[in-house]
Amino acid sequence: MTAVIAAASLSKWYGNVLGLNDVTLEIEDGITGLLGPNGAGKSTFMKLITGQMKPNIGTVTVRGRKVWNNPELFQGIGFCPEQDVFYEDVTGWEFLTGLLRFYGYAGTEIRDRAARALDIVGLTADKDRLIRGYSRGMRQRIKFAQAVAHDPSILILDEPLSGLDPLGKRKLIRLIKGFRDQGRTVLVSSHVLPEIEALTSRIVLIHQGKILAQGDIPYVRELIEAHPHQISVRSSDPRALAARFVGDPSIQKMTFGPDGRTLVVETHKRDEFFGRLTGVVLEAGIEVDEISSPDDNLQSVFEYLVGK
Amino acid sequence: MATVREKGYSHWDGHLIERRFPWWPITRTGIQLAFRKKRFKIIFAGAFIPSVVFLVGLYISERLEDFKTFLQGSDRLINISPKYFATYFTNDSLLFLIVLVLAFGAGGLIADDLKHSSLQLYFSRPLSKKDYLIGKMSVIAFFVLILTALPGIVLIIFKLIFAGSFKFFLQYPWLPLSVLGFSALLTVFFGFYVLLLSSVSKNARYVLILIFGVYIFSNVLYGILQGIFRTPYMLLFSVPANLQQAGAFLFGQTLPRAVPAVWSFAVLAAICALSAVVLDRKIRSVEVIK
Amino acid sequence: MTAAQAARQVFGFFGFLGRRTGKTRVFAILGLIPVVLAVVVRVFLHGRAGLMADVSTEILMVFFLQFYIVILALFYGTSITAEEVENRTLSYLLTRPIPKPAIILGKFAAYTALMFAMVGLSLALSYFIINAGRLGDPAVYGALLRYLGVLGLGILAYTAFFAFLGTILKRAIIIGLVFGFGWENVIQYFPGSTQRFSIVHYLKSLLPYHPANVGGGRGVALLLFRLEPTKPVVAVIMLAVITAGLLALACWFFRIKEYLYEE
Repeated sequence: MTAVIAAASLSKWYGNVLGLNDVTLEIEDGITGLLGPNGAGKSTFMKLITGQMKPNIGTVTVRGRKVWNNPELFQGIGFCPEQDVFYEDVTGWEFLTGLLRFYGYAGTEIRDRAARALDIVGLTADKDRLIRGYSRGMRQRIKFAQAVAHDPSILILDEPLSGLDPLGKRKLIRLIKGFRDQGRTVLVSSHVLPEIEALTSRIVLIHQGKILAQGDIPYVRELIEAHPHQISVRSSDPRALAARFVGDPSIQKMTFGPDGRTLVVETHKRDEFFGRLTGVVLEAGIEVDEISSPDDNLQSVFEYLVGK
Repeated sequence: MATVREKGYSHWDGHLIERRFPWWPITRTGIQLAFRKKRFKIIFAGAFIPSVVFLVGLYISERLEDFKTFLQGSDRLINISPKYFATYFTNDSLLFLIVLVLAFGAGGLIADDLKHSSLQLYFSRPLSKKDYLIGKMSVIAFFVLILTALPGIVLIIFKLIFAGSFKFFLQYPWLPLSVLGFSALLTVFFGFYVLLLSSVSKNARYVLILIFGVYIFSNVLYGILQGIFRTPYMLLFSVPANLQQAGAFLFGQTLPRAVPAVWSFAVLAAICALSAVVLDRKIRSVEVIK
Repeated sequence: MTAAQAARQVFGFFGFLGRRTGKTRVFAILGLIPVVLAVVVRVFLHGRAGLMADVSTEILMVFFLQFYIVILALFYGTSITAEEVENRTLSYLLTRPIPKPAIILGKFAAYTALMFAMVGLSLALSYFIINAGRLGDPAVYGALLRYLGVLGLGILAYTAFFAFLGTILKRAIIIGLVFGFGWENVIQYFPGSTQRFSIVHYLKSLLPYHPANVGGGRGVALLLFRLEPTKPVVAVIMLAVITAGLLALACWFFRIKEYLYEE
């Protein structure tokens, strides 16, 4: 698949501070989540791929074309910045129509597109209110609206869900997935892990300017063979179950849950454990209510990778 | 006290210690923030040039024999008297440098708080509006006093040291009071002036232009009106001219213009009063958005 | 979209924003001061026509040339870049399909148009009030057009200079203030060609000169005090070159520089 956005040996300094460290990355169609803690380099990367900054070393291209000083590219790119900033004393409508002017549309088309964008984000009723009177969530939505009003094929969203209530987040997640289904490329950054998990399984982990891992969550998880997997088994007799596994060399640690019915096991060899578990449970006649992997999610993957 | 049912919460049983100067953290932070700006440090250092020049003048006046070759027959090139100190305090360059220092170091005192909606953060602490304003005013007082009272007293001390006697002090015992009095007047006036303008906008750059603009414009307006009406009372429109009138009065000197000093004091007081009214309205913990 | 079309759209957007802001209202109110002065002068100097004409030059040109257009140009000129960086709204412009120079040129055009409207209205009102008794005389209108032209050229030149400063310096205000209220006032007293290194020299070269002993012209002579005036045609050309040159530099720097927001 041809990369939509490609970064090659991308590095960026802020004086003596290294913002991005030799990042080589390709973003393909669909939704890609860019995940990292605050200060990891997510916004720096987004500013580089949207031409707001130029790289010190390396190149960044969108559809094979360099981004810096290439304004024509932005006919097909929509950017939602992280900062909660707007032009003063304008209404939502004026903000959208003002920015739509820069695409060369005729007056009626500007109005139609603005109305459509406001409808998408659910701000039609508030379009004539001043933005500084909007709530935090409304401001976030109008920011999203200005990024999608011109129907871009590539969406770059820097922390788009920040400031939204749970319902607002769900709506926006649905919207973003809808854009993906229309064949657009979406790059979303966040430091809130469940948000990324809800949007996509394809992630790029970034920390201290470096790419730590890239791929589907299970794939990334597989990369971390050295890190023991946690498996939680809720059963009628966890201690009997534990007794059966205590001699197993692949088991590194066993703890009991506070409910008195859960056994949490840490093992390097997950598949082997599952294979043995079935046999043990049948032999001992233990009733198992639930088996889950508490750390088979982004949080634990990330925490492990950043060494926390 | 109603029971709080959330897990993990427990009411603090300690005793809140009342601080004597609740505004002190505001002052300390304001001064620290000003000195973080590189250009401000340069401007602040440059603002001491007039005091250095006048200090050199003091030295020259006591060592005239050494400089005799540069003199052309006059016995005393520089006569050190209260007029010398009045000249230092009321000269245009010192007043302009004070405005420059305050514009860059204190222009954002309230403007930045308005921009970042920080007033709510202040007033959600045990801090009153009075404490907030005293804290901000103290930042201005710090800078103005360092540029006025401090060099003024140092000049008097060095005069006594260079002269080798207390004769000068015995001759003019009220001089230190004049120095402190005029420094206090400048501090209070510039405190209200800068805070008034800092409170009218969230844009620190615009406030900076206002601080300079109003100061310079008042003088331009004085010049224009003086040209039209040919009466010295037009000086009442000029901020620096009023300060110079007040300074000359406090140092017991002849007023630069034939206008009673009480008028200048009245104008300066009116500006301070206007500032107090505006600040009282502007400094609120809740922002009303229409 | 071509650069010219883009600049036109930027002009429209920022012309609209500029009219809306509170700061424009404040500067427009500032422009009422000469109108008030004109009314006061009319009341107090009624009947003394010669003095009135000189006073009009004195009032208006001192206020406009030495203060009003400088402060307007300083604020709006530095705002072209600085306000986008300070308010962090630059992202909205840089991620649109418009060439970067179009942003500078469009904002420059919008703000100079706004300033000219404020200055023009203020000048025209105050001038007509002062010359209310001579409105039948075509020379009055000729002089007004000349003053408007001078101030218009001044707005363009000063705004271009401060726009250039704003694109290259983070804190352009201090240099702008030193230039606008320091250098421009002091340089005119320098002999020889030195005063040609100022914008105000060329503007004053375009003003009509009144000798010091005509009416109350003492202040006029001081205002228009210059040692070697430049020929008006040359002055206009120099102002145009200064404006175009500095604008071109501003566009170039804006294109190659990256602007980082302060955290």
